[in-house]
Amino acid sequence: MTPTQEFLQNLKQAPRHIRESMLRNGKMPETDRERSQSTFHNVFFHLQSVRVHRHSLRFAYTFGLGLILTASFVVLTLTGILLMVYYKPGAELAYDSVKDIHFVVPAGRFIRNIHRWGAHLMVLAVFLHMARVFYTGSYKRPREFNWLVGLALLALTLGLSFTGYLLPWDQLAFWAITIGANIASSPREVTDAIGITAWFDPGKLLKQLLLGANYVGQEALIRFYVLHVAVLPLALAALMGVHFWRVRKDGGLSRDETRPAPPARIGDRDVQVFAPNKTYGLMAVVRGRTPEVGRAPEGTVTSWPHLLWAEMAAFMFTIAVTLALSYFFDAPLKEMANPAIPENPAKAPWYFLGLQELVSYSAFMGGVGIPAIVLAGLGLIPYLDRDPRGVGVWFGGPAGRREFWQSLAFGLASVLALLAFTVNFGWLRAWYPTIPQIAIIIVNPATVIVAMYSAWSLWVLRRTGSIRLSAVALFTCFLAGFVVLTAMGSIFRGPNWQFYWWPSQWPTH
Amino acid sequence: MPADPSRSFKWATIICSVVSIVFLIAAAVRENISADWRARQAAFREILTRKAKDAAARTAARNLPIEIRQVVVPALHAVDRCVTCHLGIDDPRMADQANPHRTHPKRLLTIHRVEKFGCTVCHQGQGAALNFEEAKAEDYFWDYPLLPAKFTEATCASCHNPRALPAGSAGRLVLGAQLYEQKGCGGCHKLNGKGGQLGLPLDNVGLKTKHQFVRTNLKGSQTNWNWLAEHFRDPAGIIPGSLMPVPALSRPQVEALTVFMLSLRQRDLPAEYLAPDKIDEQYARLHPAPPDGAALYRRYCAACHDTGLFSRWDKLFQRFVPGIRNAAFVRAADDESLAVNVREGRPGTPMPGWGPKAGGLSEAELAALVAYMRSSAPAMALPAAPARGDAARGATLFAQNCAGCHGVAGQGLIAPALANPVFQRAATDAFIAQTIRAGRENTPMPAFGRAGFGEAEIGDLLAYIRKWQPAGAAAVALGRQP
Repeated sequence: MTPTQEFLQNLKQAPRHIRESMLRNGKMPETDRERSQSTFHNVFFHLQSVRVHRHSLRFAYTFGLGLILTASFVVLTLTGILLMVYYKPGAELAYDSVKDIHFVVPAGRFIRNIHRWGAHLMVLAVFLHMARVFYTGSYKRPREFNWLVGLALLALTLGLSFTGYLLPWDQLAFWAITIGANIASSPREVTDAIGITAWFDPGKLLKQLLLGANYVGQEALIRFYVLHVAVLPLALAALMGVHFWRVRKDGGLSRDETRPAPPARIGDRDVQVFAPNKTYGLMAVVRGRTPEVGRAPEGTVTSWPHLLWAEMAAFMFTIAVTLALSYFFDAPLKEMANPAIPENPAKAPWYFLGLQELVSYSAFMGGVGIPAIVLAGLGLIPYLDRDPRGVGVWFGGPAGRREFWQSLAFGLASVLALLAFTVNFGWLRAWYPTIPQIAIIIVNPATVIVAMYSAWSLWVLRRTGSIRLSAVALFTCFLAGFVVLTAMGSIFRGPNWQFYWWPSQWPTH
Repeated sequence: MPADPSRSFKWATIICSVVSIVFLIAAAVRENISADWRARQAAFREILTRKAKDAAARTAARNLPIEIRQVVVPALHAVDRCVTCHLGIDDPRMADQANPHRTHPKRLLTIHRVEKFGCTVCHQGQGAALNFEEAKAEDYFWDYPLLPAKFTEATCASCHNPRALPAGSAGRLVLGAQLYEQKGCGGCHKLNGKGGQLGLPLDNVGLKTKHQFVRTNLKGSQTNWNWLAEHFRDPAGIIPGSLMPVPALSRPQVEALTVFMLSLRQRDLPAEYLAPDKIDEQYARLHPAPPDGAALYRRYCAACHDTGLFSRWDKLFQRFVPGIRNAAFVRAADDESLAVNVREGRPGTPMPGWGPKAGGLSEAELAALVAYMRSSAPAMALPAAPARGDAARGATLFAQNCAGCHGVAGQGLIAPALANPVFQRAATDAFIAQTIRAGRENTPMPAFGRAGFGEAEIGDLLAYIRKWQPAGAAAVALGRQP
């Protein structure tokens, strides 16, 4: 072979070589061994284990919520980068640049819609994902810490959505963030009530930290922008990495280990496999409980292609839903932000409207007290409920399912009754106009509902003797409360935070 | 062979992918190819080709690029894309076309070049938009929707003085400015720092957004101009309990006043945009011409006092409005007391003060107003008042003869309130005594002197009436002898 021939031959084979070098094993895998290699030898696929349990692929177990979240994050990152190209984070420029995105950037309106609806979808999915993980007992040993990582991801997701909310610089954004910042300054209610605001004002500090000023302006805008496009996405991506890594290291998705494993799929046949009596060589030097020690591929299928298809389905589902929403509904964009014309009612983003409803009773309780109690409670769940039973089964079985429905009924009934009472009869201030504020901070609908839920949960604990069931009861109650209060704040509160059955009844002020 | 575990996922993937692709293609088509303005530009190209006279013009017309066009006027913060569809706006050949291709009417653009002014500085609306609904921006989240043609003149006042526009231009705006004076709107409303305080100040009404109007009772279109027009037709129908008199206005007058209201907007425009008359107007505000008492009276007083020759009963106020140019009154009052009344008003009544700190009139203007009132009759030398007598007897006399009109407590019913502090300050004893003695021609106030009241009774009444004098006021009563 002459050098010329060799050169030509190499040139001819270059595409194959490029493919091979890129994919490492070079072709579509055909055997299980090659499938394993394809997973193992690719930096992205490597995030998955080579084989995945059949149970983890059951749609009704996960509803694909984690994948939907990942997909939303990818979609939001991509559309976000496109928006960043045109968006100008200046108080004088921002609104016009969003208008330009809406009107003249090719498909800019569509991309902004995707970004907006994708963000709402992500916030919704993160709540649902948490509920799924809770109700399947997936926070239990050894996954306790990943539950905490998940909570941090929840907070980051809300932070991303909240910071993004301001960027269009329209009336909706401006007043929502004003409300949000006022919620942040709610410790002042307590410092006011005990008269130490002049010396110690953490509410003001929080608000200034958030806004960079005492009002929503250019400082707040640039701050929110930096958080939204750099700090929070990077933090979220990093924590997502940790979250995934822990999912794998903690043994994959949770499942009921006590039940006999379904057959493994080897090649294209389902085969019953029994655990060998030896461990993998590498695992022998690893201390502690690792997922695959003492395990054969019982109950598993290869990740390639089965998990990949599942992931693909979730991704495409997310994309299809956001595209459909974005095609039919434009992202809101009201008049340019105008501090002189307050929106009435000014409402925070929807996921904070439950809090805003509570803030309308007591700023401190709604803004700091209750969220702190809820966050601390959520964080402590895996450390208080150490019962290893019931992992990987929705509600941990029939008893839990019964407890769920009872608690849901109780949670809904009590919060609805309390809201109906408050709307019709008012609260302490209406009956005793001179009552000290500290009394209202301590006794208001928000604290009453928390007390009722706690009492119910304690009663369940006494009745069943199960911490898990009592946790299910408490979580369910708070979920019911969250949904009802959010609906209350979003739909049934009109100008001056008055109750209305429907927004069409609002007076045109 | 058992079922493939990922079968359902494959189907889900395929279905979702198809849905995604369909929406992507649909969106790409909708956002780009089927945009409204493309069809408009294609139609314009047709018209242009049809009107072309020679081959070169035809080629030029055919090669007219289909693209977004915009007028950028940094000085006005305007980016107006209206010209994307209104392609023939400054092309005289398009005068016979229908909108959006028609030439701008009245050749206004030869004076106001599009490149210098853009579109929205006159027409309002959302210049950034690329379709008519969003450009018009009514019932849409936009502060300043497109002004309907009949109200567009409002924005002329941004650069022109509506009182100095040449005849025939901006007729509605000019008429509106005149009506504002003629109807005495300034009697209750402040504008540029001058005017009464019963109504809201009207500065920058044209800059308000619809959210700043109380629209609870507004039917139909929720625009500012509809609000203003409806409010001129029936003020209390829009704002329940409004004290604004129902002005008898014809339809063109309503429109003219609406235009004038919409024109009240202080825009910070670069000097090169201001017409000379506008600069004159601004100069005149700082260096006012000698005041004209008659004009001032019409502007600030006539809405309530009418001609001022007779006292009248006001239905809306449910009270009496004195005839302040009534010859008998003016004759009895000296200039100083007239000036005090105008400057300080009558607290507790609808009559506001008009001094520099209240109604915003300068001392020179106050003097001109007093001089105008004085033109009804010269001040007479009042006979000296009798010495103040016995207040108790005065009280009996007051209850029998005066309380019916002036109120038992002097609060005023169908006659002026005598317990009013400013009245007490402005009126000298001689003035009060003379009024009781000689009455007031052309008003219900009878001449008690002719009805048998002697100087003693008048003195008793005087003592009683003076009991309402605010403490310490006697000493400071304008430094004059009581």
